[in-house]
Amino acid sequence: MEPAEDWLVESLRLYQDFHAFDLSEATRVLEWIGDKGVFVAGYESRKKNEILHLTLPFRLSVKENQGLFPERDFKVRHGGFSDRPVFDLKHVPDTRLLVTSGLPGCYLQVWQVAEDSDVIQAVSTIAVHEKEGHLWPRVAIFSSVAPGILHGVRLSSLKVVDLESQKTMYTSGVSDSDELSSLQVLDAHTFAFCCTSGRLGLVDTRQKWAPSENLSPCPGSGGGRWCAEVGGRGRGPGPHIASLGSDGHLCLLDCRDLSHPESSVQCAVSTPSPAPELLRVTWAPGLDNCLAISGFDGTVQVYDVMSWDGMGGQAEPLFTHRGHVFLDGNGIDTAPLVTTHTWHPQKPRTLLSAASDASLHVWDWVDLRASC
Amino acid sequence: MPEIRVTPLGAGQDVGRSCILVSIGGKNVMLDCGMHMGFNDDRRFPDFSYITRNGRLTDFLDCVIISHFHLDHCGALPYFSEMVGYDGPIYMTHPTQAICPILLEDYRKIAVDKKGEANFFTSQMIKDCMKKVVAVHLHQTVQVDDELEIKAYYAGHVLGAAMFQIKVGSESVVYTGDYNMTPDRHLGAAWIDKCRPNLLITESTYATTIRDSKRCRERDFLKKVHETVERGGKVLIPVFALGRAQELCILLETFWERVNLKAPIYFSTGLTEKANHYYKLFITWTNQKIRKTFVQRNMFEFKHIKAFDRAFADNPGPMVVFATPGMLHAGQSLQIFRKWAGNEKNMVIMPGYCVQGTVGHKILSGQRKLEMEGRQVLEVKMQVEYMSFSAHADAKGIMQLVGQAEPESVLLVHGEAKKMEFLKQKIEQEFRLLPSAKKPRLLHGTLIMKDSSFQLVSSEQALKELGLAEHQLRFTCRVHLHDSRKEQETAARVYSHLKSVLKDHCVQHLPDGSVTVESILIQAAAHSEDPGTKVLLVSWTYQDEELGSYLTSLLKKGLPQAPS
Repeated sequence: MEPAEDWLVESLRLYQDFHAFDLSEATRVLEWIGDKGVFVAGYESRKKNEILHLTLPFRLSVKENQGLFPERDFKVRHGGFSDRPVFDLKHVPDTRLLVTSGLPGCYLQVWQVAEDSDVIQAVSTIAVHEKEGHLWPRVAIFSSVAPGILHGVRLSSLKVVDLESQKTMYTSGVSDSDELSSLQVLDAHTFAFCCTSGRLGLVDTRQKWAPSENLSPCPGSGGGRWCAEVGGRGRGPGPHIASLGSDGHLCLLDCRDLSHPESSVQCAVSTPSPAPELLRVTWAPGLDNCLAISGFDGTVQVYDVMSWDGMGGQAEPLFTHRGHVFLDGNGIDTAPLVTTHTWHPQKPRTLLSAASDASLHVWDWVDLRASC
Repeated sequence: MPEIRVTPLGAGQDVGRSCILVSIGGKNVMLDCGMHMGFNDDRRFPDFSYITRNGRLTDFLDCVIISHFHLDHCGALPYFSEMVGYDGPIYMTHPTQAICPILLEDYRKIAVDKKGEANFFTSQMIKDCMKKVVAVHLHQTVQVDDELEIKAYYAGHVLGAAMFQIKVGSESVVYTGDYNMTPDRHLGAAWIDKCRPNLLITESTYATTIRDSKRCRERDFLKKVHETVERGGKVLIPVFALGRAQELCILLETFWERVNLKAPIYFSTGLTEKANHYYKLFITWTNQKIRKTFVQRNMFEFKHIKAFDRAFADNPGPMVVFATPGMLHAGQSLQIFRKWAGNEKNMVIMPGYCVQGTVGHKILSGQRKLEMEGRQVLEVKMQVEYMSFSAHADAKGIMQLVGQAEPESVLLVHGEAKKMEFLKQKIEQEFRLLPSAKKPRLLHGTLIMKDSSFQLVSSEQALKELGLAEHQLRFTCRVHLHDSRKEQETAARVYSHLKSVLKDHCVQHLPDGSVTVESILIQAAAHSEDPGTKVLLVSWTYQDEELGSYLTSLLKKGLPQAPS
């Protein structure tokens, strides 16, 4: 009880705002729908898992007079049941459709969020031809009038499928068996991939497979498992890729030249990550040069890439969210692990984070560097 | 198949929020009788004409049950009983009975004095209505008549709030009212036994909410107070004396101590007397097993909080003041508000709902210019914060409650059926609720596999089949008593004492001098060294552990000095 109370008092100074919720089951996904709702989904293998559409507490959406809105709760707007664990969920923009991925990994499930009731209904599946035991396909969405689903387990099985007709629109056509860890659509024709080995690339779907790639994962790191995200505006103009390894290495690459990483640091985390599949690195949509990482422990860390110098040095986070560690209400010995996090699309310093103890936090951190 | 009919009467367009009619086994019960706070005309009252257009309500209804003192659950009661007409019993818990009339009177004053309403219940009507109240204790089975019985369960939420079980023969309904499943600083969490009602009635809003933790709400409160005080501002917290005020005081006091703050905190004098009254109600209310979830301290003695004097309001510098009344409609809190409203460094924190017509309601609606008496305009520059501390259950909580009570069916009121398909599936799946005329029975036995078939047999049978000897586990305890008489006389004294105390149990005095209580054996023996002391050997089987330890502590207290 004591450390929790101490932390809460500290939190008055560290956070502008802080909300803590208990879901009925832990989630590994936090997918936005607009800027007022998120999807969460259970990932247990032995039971029916729930997929929920939650709307944020109203006070987080109002611009003025926030003090006059006492409601601090999430509302469950829609829900559905999945027979298998949900490891990834993507909303198809401008539609009421969702695509989920889990185990067994031989198909993707497409869902519809009902308009006149609270149901999320399974409507169709997308076959993934490789049956790969414990591997499950990564998903990203090409949003357009005819949405395309980008998915794959390995580089060799990467393809884009038209959602409605299920026709294949693009395939990698290669035999490389590198396992994929993340996929990200950048615009109507480009996507980025990251393999567990740390190999990353940018692909233009208008051409036959010819990605611009990095030569090897971050120098100075010794293997492990990697994930990455494109975003941000590092030192020069144009987007950058941040690549995170399970050994705590965080690497920054300029999209125009993936062969030479710009900078890299060793994050202030205990390594290696106990659950490398949960590693996550995200760029802040509302802040210059900031990103967040999670997947090593019960914390989420925010870094300012501008403060990095050269290669391989230790980096200190700008902010560390420890709420999941201190407010662990379960009382079990093992500290919870942050399973995923995401930035609020509009509010620059607001994040949502979820942990293995089914907690869900919404927090708005104070940049202690900024003058009052 | 039992037929139970539920008709939410509600008020305004919000059907089911505040008044529910239940017909069970030929009996008619009205659950709660609240006002819709958003309307000023007849729409604020439930439509009682639905119950019976011509007949008398007293003839039709067997009883009325009020779950707790919030106005949206009891606000229409005097109107219902005195203006529409009902003379039957009105059941509620003791604290609810004590607090309801105070709230109703406050509400009446606001409606009549502030808003000039004509067709409203009078103070006398409130008194007459309360005369019809029959107060109940928790877990006490109350016979309304030969067939209808009710029982109240602890609901948490606010002082005196209860969930009610209504039973006619073998049919029963549980109505939850407002409740919460996570304990807070002084009220504890709701609890119900595996009563397995045919129907559980609860609010649908709970099932679709995921509540922000109490700690975060408290954190927000502390942050706002702290920031105001740090910039030299004053914080006004209008409170209704009985309830939230105490909890917020404990919170502030703990915080002040931890952070070593010096700004004064005041409690207006009217509150201290009411706090004592509240304390007395509270102590008897919590005389149940929920006590152990509470913070162990005297919650009504504060080190940092002092009595307020109206002159202090003019003192310079930061301070925090708790003052009544809670909706800023009159009295001290309004006086202080008028003094402090013009300064943007100050803050007013409203910890609860404010009725229309009050200053509290106006500022919570965003009004920044208020017309006061004598056409004076008050400009509100101080920060206005609306905070909700009410403990309500949420989606997780309702599942817990359903898990505790194990109802056959669940009815969610105040929701649209079409829109709650997911919720329905969720509850069904979680508890496999099936319509069934039979009630399940609890069996106790051992599952054995014999000749490739499973058999459920009694434990003794199982042991026999397996050729195992049954072990008896007995505990023995020694209790020393000061008694210089002979052992046989000590044993006789023990026998008469226990016989008079344990009226529900079988107490026997055996020929060999030992005393038995059910399966527990008590023997008196002389102490080897001290003739003035006797040693009682108390022995019991592990199945009777509870009774055994109870007897031991009882005997340790000594025997009464009875004339021999």
